Amino acid sequence: MKQWPLLRSLSESLTRTLAAHSAYTLRFLSSATASPTFALKNVTKSNFESSLADLRRHVRDADFVAIDLEMTGVTSAPWRESFEFDRFDVQYLKVKDSAEKFAVVQFGVCPFRWDSSRHCFVAHPHNFYVFPRQELPVDGPSYEFLCQTTSIDFLAKYQFDFNACIYEGISYLSREQENEMLRCLNSECDDEMSLLWRNMKEVRDTPLVSVADVLFSERMKNRFNEWRKELLQDRKGGSQFLETSNDMKQQFQTIFFKMRPALILNGFTAHQLRLIQLVIKKHFKDLVYIRSSGDGSYSELIVYIDSDNDKNLLMKEVKDGLRREAEMKIKTAVGFRHVIDLLSSEQKLIVGHNCLLDIAHIYNKFFGPLPLTAEDFVSSIHKYFPYMIDTKILLNTNNVLKHLMKNGSTSLSKAFASLCPQIASSSKNSGLAFQPWVEVEVQVDDMRSSNWNSGAKHEAGYDAFMTGCVFAQACSNLGIDFKKHSSSANLAHNKNLQKHVNHLYFSWVNGDIIDLGTGNRIAATTVCYNLKRRYPKILFSNIVIVWGFPSQLSSKKIRECISKAFGPISVTTIYHLDETAVFVQFSKPELVADFLVLKETLETIQDPISVLHPLSVLLEGGNTCAASYETYKEICSSPISKVMFADQAKAVGIKWKTKLIESKEKVKTQEDESFSKENGATDAASDPADKSKTRKIEDVIDNLSDDRISGSEIIDSLYAAQTKLSKHIRTTNL
Amino acid sequence: MWLQRRGLSTKREWRVKQVTKSNFSQTLESLKPQISQSDFVAVSLQKTGSFSAPWHRVLPFDTPQTAYSKARFAADKFQVFQFAVCPFSVRASKVVAHPYNFHLFPRDELKIGMPSYSFSCQTSYLASMAREGFDFNVCIYDGISYLSRAQESVANARIGNPIPSNNVKTSSSTPSVADAVFIERIKSRVKHWKSACRDSSTRADEALVKSLRKLILGSEEYRSRPCVNLDVCSEHQVQLVLEVLGEFFDDLVPLLIPAKGGGTQAVRVILTSSEEDKDLLKRELQDLEEEQNKRVCGFREVIDLISASQKPVVSHNSLNEFAFIHSKFLSPLPPNMDEFMCSLRMVFPHVLDVNHLMKEIGPLKKVTNLSAAASCLKRRFFVPIDMEIPHQASNEDKIHGHNVLKISHLLANLCSILKITPEMIQSDGGHLASALEGYANIFHPHSTNTEDPIDGGIKVWTDDTRKVSSEGLVFIWGFRGRMSAGGLKRLLQGSHSVFSEEFDVRMVDGSCAIVVFWQSGLSQTFLEAISSNWISGLLREMVSEGLRAAGYETYKKACRLGFWEADLADSLDKALEEPDHNSEADSEAKPTGPSQIYWSRDSIINLDEL
Repeated sequence: MKQWPLLRSLSESLTRTLAAHSAYTLRFLSSATASPTFALKNVTKSNFESSLADLRRHVRDADFVAIDLEMTGVTSAPWRESFEFDRFDVQYLKVKDSAEKFAVVQFGVCPFRWDSSRHCFVAHPHNFYVFPRQELPVDGPSYEFLCQTTSIDFLAKYQFDFNACIYEGISYLSREQENEMLRCLNSECDDEMSLLWRNMKEVRDTPLVSVADVLFSERMKNRFNEWRKELLQDRKGGSQFLETSNDMKQQFQTIFFKMRPALILNGFTAHQLRLIQLVIKKHFKDLVYIRSSGDGSYSELIVYIDSDNDKNLLMKEVKDGLRREAEMKIKTAVGFRHVIDLLSSEQKLIVGHNCLLDIAHIYNKFFGPLPLTAEDFVSSIHKYFPYMIDTKILLNTNNVLKHLMKNGSTSLSKAFASLCPQIASSSKNSGLAFQPWVEVEVQVDDMRSSNWNSGAKHEAGYDAFMTGCVFAQACSNLGIDFKKHSSSANLAHNKNLQKHVNHLYFSWVNGDIIDLGTGNRIAATTVCYNLKRRYPKILFSNIVIVWGFPSQLSSKKIRECISKAFGPISVTTIYHLDETAVFVQFSKPELVADFLVLKETLETIQDPISVLHPLSVLLEGGNTCAASYETYKEICSSPISKVMFADQAKAVGIKWKTKLIESKEKVKTQEDESFSKENGATDAASDPADKSKTRKIEDVIDNLSDDRISGSEIIDSLYAAQTKLSKHIRTTNL
Repeated sequence: MWLQRRGLSTKREWRVKQVTKSNFSQTLESLKPQISQSDFVAVSLQKTGSFSAPWHRVLPFDTPQTAYSKARFAADKFQVFQFAVCPFSVRASKVVAHPYNFHLFPRDELKIGMPSYSFSCQTSYLASMAREGFDFNVCIYDGISYLSRAQESVANARIGNPIPSNNVKTSSSTPSVADAVFIERIKSRVKHWKSACRDSSTRADEALVKSLRKLILGSEEYRSRPCVNLDVCSEHQVQLVLEVLGEFFDDLVPLLIPAKGGGTQAVRVILTSSEEDKDLLKRELQDLEEEQNKRVCGFREVIDLISASQKPVVSHNSLNEFAFIHSKFLSPLPPNMDEFMCSLRMVFPHVLDVNHLMKEIGPLKKVTNLSAAASCLKRRFFVPIDMEIPHQASNEDKIHGHNVLKISHLLANLCSILKITPEMIQSDGGHLASALEGYANIFHPHSTNTEDPIDGGIKVWTDDTRKVSSEGLVFIWGFRGRMSAGGLKRLLQGSHSVFSEEFDVRMVDGSCAIVVFWQSGLSQTFLEAISSNWISGLLREMVSEGLRAAGYETYKKACRLGFWEADLADSLDKALEEPDHNSEADSEAKPTGPSQIYWSRDSIINLDEL
């Protein structure tokens, strides 16, 4: 490693003087003049097969493979964006929604191989254009994907070639889709044969009506008779070719079909073919009518058979042929998934940059529908890709690297610029000459360059290349000696990387990390200490979600009116999901239930007092709904995506205005009850308490409807009611 | 590579001008007079998709309302990439047409999350556009954006562009005490500020003093003229300020500053130096507003032009086309067909559907696609109608948006066959020629009657189509595996006595079939039987295997509530679970009784088309 700077300065001087002709100079010469401008390997339908063969070789030899994806969008609605207020399960639901709705349009794969003879990495950046074209006809829902307008516009800004994607993009089938198709094929194959027989039966049933039909049938019968006779004579007479008249040659061509003499029927209408079928069925025991497919088109054949046994054999052969062909079609339709299968089967170390969403897309597009829970997702993805590294985590959690990055932004392009300046700027005269830079040579087909840089940011192939470079440099800075790591698995087991392998950001916003290997979550606070927290600690049990309130209400006003009702320090945070919905985090979990009960009560009692209540500001308009955090999760799991949260809640089918969390308590108390019953202990039923608490607050409000009491008294006594209430809840909780 | 495939355009050299962001405003100028001078405007849209599942298409048994629900769902979901517009006139046996094809992309030009956060694409639609050689890069890079009318007003409020106020209404009521105080305060503040401005402009102060004065007076500059912002709390106060200004100050021009959530936040008062300067400023503001509008509403200006001309608009499959137009360029679609028709009529008073006109002509009755219609016309009728396209378009231009010319040509043909002469066609003012009046504004794709389809004037047009009341229709699902209609019919025949009478079965999609009972009352008997406790025999067995059934009302409910699952069976299941008390539904569904539906004997749902 220490040799690197030396080597470079040496070669640089050589380049400058143009004196020597060593391999190094040649490389630098070529790169210094024109070479860095060649494009990376763009792969579309037309060159997919050949590129895949090359890629297989590169991946097999690689130490690690960097990947990157470009999608048609990220979030299907503003309120589905990543918030700090996302609980772990909600984070997964958001990622799942995104991966299910949007399409992958570009897939960057860049295998990196350590060349020990030249002490550099060789990278093969590939840029696959992918398009979910429906190649095989299946009934059921059509192939469809969502585009987020801003994402498409973003791609356009970076000159994404939509034509290449839609015209020439490689299509794919997921493993699940392929299996489903093969299953369908099995049942269809049986179907087709039965259909064939049924058709024949129907043909026999229809009598010939028109004179033309009778004449045609008669003529055909004669023709087939002739052909058959000739054929039989021929057999006796030895290896003499069949002599047929000219006019017959056009419509009937004699060939061998599966080792049997056969006639191809050309230029007949469907009606005529039906009549021929009928003739064969009626008059010829040793001829069969067959529809065979080949080269994508069907042809009608009359085949000579020796016996019934032979007939069955032939039918089986035809059937198998059809089946094989269909299987071939399905196999071709697998398309781009071959690349994923390759990555999975080679078990190489996969490197991505903040790549959870990428992984979710890969799962959804190429394996099967995403599991319902994050835990299932994590365990199954680990089976497919046993070694994964996220460079974003590496840069944010490793102290050495953090120091190098000067705690700056860890976006891919920033990381690339600060960790690999020699590649990023294509210049050799970096000020930090003592840094042991990792050399990366790029190879595309026959072209090679050691300071290649297409600079096409946000092109998947180039982003994958940058990710790989960042990883290689990071490894070097962590003191990993590539010479010792001949295999990918070896690299993944390096003790300096151990802490980071298979760690992925579940949500970058909260810095939540998951370990794919163990399925454990690594608490955000212990890892992400450089992330400035804008909000006090988030407690999901203290949160209510409120939506449908008057649109002009600001966070400040909402906080004000809730504080007036529940005390000045009752509200910790107000967070806007969008203009129609907020999270309200209370200082105490009891306040969640209190708030919901109070809201419900105020809405059911329509008297002047409830109008005067401070909370009524929030309830104005009569469309304000509120529920606990669980409801947010429920709404996130719906496949519907309306732009505004309030519309979404309606579309999901929420008809209530307040969802008390009593029901949950009831479940709890029921559990308690059954538990205590088992124990033989008697327990004072808590249900009456539940009822009594609502009654009590009603009592208070009834008492208050006396006009003599001043406003402040009202509020005070309401407070009193609430404290009673919260005590109740606390006791029932116990 | 793909551009080579563009050879497949029609033989005739019909050239359509392609319009993107770069030549939009120039095109708009030429389009304006062409629209006002033409008899008709043909429109045709190229969308990114139309239906996600087989049953989401408008099916022959759909009522106008369910058909509209389906069109509405599609219009909300998909996007328009090309919008072809063609003003045309019919003169003798010649169509004079000015075809344009606008490339649209819903780019968020103003960074306010509009016109569309996201949209769906059906890969088969994109693939077929690709087959025609459509250039997606041009569309996405240079497509024209737009805002609907509803979005524009929201946008104006959100960007906070000042709006010149020209209409000062003098309030008739005597001002309250509070108002009087407010008026006095405004008057003195403006007076003070004005004199300070005049003062300082004559005096040569130090920079520090100047800026201090600015700070204290709250004075700013607007277009190099001094101005001041007066905060207001309500629209009423805005009126008061405007009144004060109009009454006491001649040299001031007011501008309204919109608040973020709508309404007005402040009134900006600009001081002009003279009467000429005031006029100049007013002109400047007007230009600015126009420019702003152009930037904000984008392509919608074309829609507004067509609407303002009140010309009859000709299209093919008008329900789908106008659902999209309404959703993208006017306002979100109302839940109900009647509201949609009313709302649309305000903007486009006459909409002609060539598809509907074709139904008037025997041989064309069953033709649903434009090319087929053209070739059928050629074979069956001799209608020599020439096409004249006056404007010169470049070679590149001839590829897309041809449908709009086909529509124009077809309309001229149809009018000629229906003996509607050019003189009768030429509409004057806002009135459609009475000869065409009867064909206008019919949106039900399968309706065959010339009157309002909702009221149901009926005319049976072929022998093999029978009219059936929606009460006679029953949906069944939950049968095992894949079933053919014939197989299902055979299975049903022995299952219950109602099936001893005449009935028909058709598959709607892989999951669900529709049963037609020709004898009234039997459907009810069947539905009762299947939900009763004492079913027996084969039917009982089928039910225990999961067979379910529901009447037409359940189907209507699924459409109304927007249960657009991929399988109709799932949607119907969901609709059945939904409690019936929905009061909204009662107000929506008019008590019209059962709708009439045409039942065609020959395969009503052609699955091959899918």
